[in-house]
Amino acid sequence: MTSTTTAKTTIEFDDRTVRRFMIASIFWGIVGMLAGVFIASQLNFHQLNLASWLSFGRLRPLHTNAVIFAFVGNMMFAGIYYSTQRLCKARTASDLLSSIHFWGWQLIIVAAAITLPLGLTRGQEYAELIWPVNIAVAVIWVVFAVNFFWTLARRNEPSLYVALWFYIGTIITVAMLYIVNHLSIPTSWTHSYTIFAGVQNGLVQWWYGHNAVAFFLTTPILGIMYYFLPKAAERPVYSYRLSIVHFWSLVFIYIWAGPHHLLNTALPKWLQMLGTFFSLMLWVPSWGGMLNGLLTLRGAWDKLRTDPVVKFFIAAVTFYGMATFEGPLLSIPAVNALSHYSDWTIGHVHAGAMGWKGFMAAGMFYWLTPRLYGTKLHSTSWANFHFWIGTVGILVYVGSMWVSGIMQGLMLNATTPDGTALVYPNFIDTLTSIRAMMGFRIIGGSLYLAGMLLMALNIWMTIRKGSPVNETREVAVIERSQRDTMGLKEAFLNDPVACTLGGMVLVLAWLFLPPGADVVALVCAGVFIFLVVRRFQKGHHIWSRWHDSLLHNWLPFTVLSFVAVVLGGLVQIIPTVMVSRAKNVEDRIQQPYTPLELAGRDIYVSEGCYNCHSQMIRTMLPDVLRYGDYSRLGESIYDHPYQWGSKRTGPDLAREGGKYPHSWHYDHMKDPRAISAGSNMPAYPHLFTAKFDQKTLWKKVAVMTRLGVPYPAMTATEVKTAAIEQGIQIVKELEGQGRVGTLPDTQIVALIAYLQKLGKFDVPDLEGRLKGTPAGMPFPLRPGIPDEHRAATPAK
Amino acid sequence: MTQKPSNNGPVLREHVYDGIQEYDQKLPNWWLFTWYITMAWFVIAWFAYYQLNLGESGPEQVERELAAIKSSQLKALEKLSDDKLWAMSQDEKVVAAGAATFATTCVACHGPDLSAKIAGAKLPGLPLNDAEWKHGGAPLQILNLVRKGAPDVTKGMPPWEGQLGLNRVVEVVAFILSKHKQGEPVTLATDSPLKK
Repeated sequence: MTSTTTAKTTIEFDDRTVRRFMIASIFWGIVGMLAGVFIASQLNFHQLNLASWLSFGRLRPLHTNAVIFAFVGNMMFAGIYYSTQRLCKARTASDLLSSIHFWGWQLIIVAAAITLPLGLTRGQEYAELIWPVNIAVAVIWVVFAVNFFWTLARRNEPSLYVALWFYIGTIITVAMLYIVNHLSIPTSWTHSYTIFAGVQNGLVQWWYGHNAVAFFLTTPILGIMYYFLPKAAERPVYSYRLSIVHFWSLVFIYIWAGPHHLLNTALPKWLQMLGTFFSLMLWVPSWGGMLNGLLTLRGAWDKLRTDPVVKFFIAAVTFYGMATFEGPLLSIPAVNALSHYSDWTIGHVHAGAMGWKGFMAAGMFYWLTPRLYGTKLHSTSWANFHFWIGTVGILVYVGSMWVSGIMQGLMLNATTPDGTALVYPNFIDTLTSIRAMMGFRIIGGSLYLAGMLLMALNIWMTIRKGSPVNETREVAVIERSQRDTMGLKEAFLNDPVACTLGGMVLVLAWLFLPPGADVVALVCAGVFIFLVVRRFQKGHHIWSRWHDSLLHNWLPFTVLSFVAVVLGGLVQIIPTVMVSRAKNVEDRIQQPYTPLELAGRDIYVSEGCYNCHSQMIRTMLPDVLRYGDYSRLGESIYDHPYQWGSKRTGPDLAREGGKYPHSWHYDHMKDPRAISAGSNMPAYPHLFTAKFDQKTLWKKVAVMTRLGVPYPAMTATEVKTAAIEQGIQIVKELEGQGRVGTLPDTQIVALIAYLQKLGKFDVPDLEGRLKGTPAGMPFPLRPGIPDEHRAATPAK
Repeated sequence: MTQKPSNNGPVLREHVYDGIQEYDQKLPNWWLFTWYITMAWFVIAWFAYYQLNLGESGPEQVERELAAIKSSQLKALEKLSDDKLWAMSQDEKVVAAGAATFATTCVACHGPDLSAKIAGAKLPGLPLNDAEWKHGGAPLQILNLVRKGAPDVTKGMPPWEGQLGLNRVVEVVAFILSKHKQGEPVTLATDSPLKK
């Protein structure tokens, strides 16, 4: 390319923002991992639940949020701010926005660190922060997005490098996921109810939760890999076309895989199928990223011996490959029946978090610090030691979680040879058997934390030695005509877009059209794909040229990647949210909570009970034998938020109501070990004195009513009176069982009321159900839920 | 056909991004074919389940397995009688097995000595070592109660048949009966639902 005029300008990169984010990441990373080691210890030593605000249920969200949003978040911003400026040959658009972004994000983290231990939570995993903080997160994210895209628009490099594609995907997708999953109605300044309930909430939550892993913890790190790894290895990237194929397929497929967090549950089968098979299809695009990372090192493998940065990067990419193979494996329903709710999942995420994100962060920081401070790294041997102690830590951690998860899973699912009874009927026995493994986890985590501390020290010494430098560079200013000139037609009306969308429409028609038409659609899809492949073989240079020119245009690129990520969510969530509630409930409708039970439920959520207890009996014999009849969709239809859970450190509670007398729960909450010897559950003495919230209870009932929960019309006083009257009743019953001295307005009374309500449902009368189903002749090709089509056809 | 990689080596793209270059290698075949297989698997599985109606849904499978358990339990129950249970309460092996289950599962509410008390403090359950029974003191009545439970938020007993299985329930009942004598007087508690 020769340009006619080459105006040159000297720019100074904004490296101060990079330094800030890097230091923040290291600081919060240590805090988050310290919290992790502490809560891991609490699982083995219940005595460490020192106070209500230091109990496992409240600190576990603190650990996950700190590591995800504070450690990886700040690390991602450091990497993005550093590489984007250089890849765009332009200083970040606005220093003010950079500052707002940095300080805003840190304030959000501080707010999280204060509110979570206080028990202020939304009760959904990785989406625990209360609504005012949610708004702050959204605003700061938009600030970041504006700053980023503004920089893109002012770039002096016509073409967008693959790292930037991943950053673009990250920014738009996280915005979409975060906003939808946090839609709530406030009941006070610190509390809100999500607008989704039951299965809808579960689906939206894991659409978000799974893709938080994808688009907060993976795509930005892949972008960082694409910039920093070739830099450190001083080798060209392995394959440009692999970048293209794995980028587009990764962002498209990832979104569909969320339901694999809800396998074997009451979630409709078609969604489970989509979750499983998209997870399997996701394996290969993920490995595309791994290959492009690992194979970039071809010809430079010797650097692995000498350069700790390359060492960290290559180990990180390897852990990425391991975790993205394990993920699809765990998404197979039969494997998931064993692994779900167990420590295997915990090991899986830590392989990703510590191995992939943590080691990418370490490599990047060791590479950046000397450049940001104009000096050499204080000690390479410390960095090497960090690498080894970290690797051993990860392996100990992940290995012990594999053993623990598989062992406990096998024990919980074991039935006697005749298949009529559980081999290990007592949950505690399975817990006792993994105690040693939980101990090894503490050791593994501590080793990893020690490595982090060593890195912090190493970087601090380096910083002391050097002084902050902002790189300046002379760049050629490019003309406006060299970038961002693509018209709408060129961007969206072309072979690649038309073929991809056409194929997708036909495949969707196959999935959703009624019997008969679906097979026709499948055949059409097959023919269409065949023709597309033929067309591609003849004219692939047209496709390549189009993609090359797309890379010169940030806005069409962004719009198309948004189209790619939005589709999966629309297909999965809209049918579930739109279908009337009556259709979702099958044969059971949950009984709405009384005001006191609702207050108790908020305590359950606030104490983070869902971190260890599920409320979802899966359609599996061992689950049904152990906990009772499998859960139906209608049984959590009024649960805002849903509490199906994702981990069983303790037993499932879906049918806990009425099983035991009040006194059992009373004694158990006071001292769990008095009831079940060997339990690791924290004691909850503060519930016996603290009062439940009476002030905003009416507001909560009102919001629930607005969300469609059928409460009778009640005034604020009536709500309060109803709660206290039920409290008095429970206190009387407790007295009858020899538990005297409880006040009716204490939290324990509300919690008992809630626990005794779990699993209570009504069976709607047949007539009422029939009324809900529309009559009349349906349009012959009306799309519908695949499960209904299958039920409508006679069995084999 | 401008940039078709030849077999002589990978093509290095000319564009340089901040010093980073890119090869334009072909996609590895094993990688591509693995991917095609995962896609084909999706089509095959979906077609088999939704078009050919093969396989069971989760609820269908559980219901089938539960029905099998129920029929084998019915057979086992037919063989049981009050006398048979009393006889079992004299069988050391059965009683020892029952005692072991009792020690892990029942002791929290009924106490190690069946008195429903520990160090004088009242436990949530009812005493099982006296002659007073709330739901009937005949062996089959006790068995039925342990199997099905009497869920109640004031003095409730969970159903244990699912979690423990019928065999263990029978053993536990044999263990409880071993603390009693056949023919001893049985009185119904004042709040017994059987009294009317």
